[in-house]
Amino acid sequence: MRFGPLAIALLVTAVSPIVQAQDTGLASDEQILIKQVNTDKQAVYAANLGLTEEESAKFWPIYNEYEAKVKPLQDRLLANINTFAEKYDTLTDADAAAILKEKMAIEKEREALKQKYTKEMEKALPAKKALRYAQLETRIQILIARDLYSLLPLAR
Amino acid sequence: MKKTLIAFAALAAFGAAEASYAQNATDDTQVLISQIQTDKRAVVLSTLQLTDAQVALFTPIYDEYQGKMKQIMTRGSDVVNKFAANYGSMTDDAAKDILKEFFKVRDDRNALLEEYAKKMQRKLPATTVLQWVQVENKLTALLDVQAAAIIPIAR
Repeated sequence: MRFGPLAIALLVTAVSPIVQAQDTGLASDEQILIKQVNTDKQAVYAANLGLTEEESAKFWPIYNEYEAKVKPLQDRLLANINTFAEKYDTLTDADAAAILKEKMAIEKEREALKQKYTKEMEKALPAKKALRYAQLETRIQILIARDLYSLLPLAR
Repeated sequence: MKKTLIAFAALAAFGAAEASYAQNATDDTQVLISQIQTDKRAVVLSTLQLTDAQVALFTPIYDEYQGKMKQIMTRGSDVVNKFAANYGSMTDDAAKDILKEFFKVRDDRNALLEEYAKKMQRKLPATTVLQWVQVENKLTALLDVQAAAIIPIAR
């Protein structure tokens, strides 16, 4: 099992705004990359959850609903990184406080969403498979976090 | 401190990736991780480059944060131990318990960081607090990946 392309795709997605600091909003290629990442994630789950046909019929609607709700949070994360990049050279304490608040809010909402939908999966699938799903989802988050934080410069 | 970091890494390993990812870590990262494991506090202070006055304000809050984080990470380590103990014969009930405890630990870890970021903002400039959160996130991510090879996916 490999997450490399997935992590790289999200890394590029996350870092592009730094490179294009003058650009505002989200570039269309970033949206395409996010779509690609989501496609790759589906392949990861399909290959590793070991779902029966009956379980698949229950899993994918829940998964798709979860991903649809995660998408706006991904967009907010990118927007927050864009804000950080745009203001990097002249970052005020007010800017930093706003960026920090938004970052914490996004993370909290993302975690709550993951937990809510894992519970949905627990109701629809054997708990072992819900646990497996949560492990995979967390692994993906860890890889993305590692790549993202290693490239974002510290505030100054 | 080292014990805390090991527990921290063990929690991360619960959802961490396979050995190939640990192998993919750069040499720089390995050096940094060794540094972190030796003394995370020193790494944080060195990275933040605070003034003496800021150090005096920062360290009591940071030490309190680290003390509470250590307790959370010990609980995280317990979850990993439970996972390991049940791995070969995981029942759905055990999986449910592990999921519940794992999520609680993650919630508490995130809430603690948020709580102490707010505490620090009352004493220090927000840009400095943002730096600290960035460093904390970065160290967490490095430790998470370092722990990547330890725990397999449930079966």
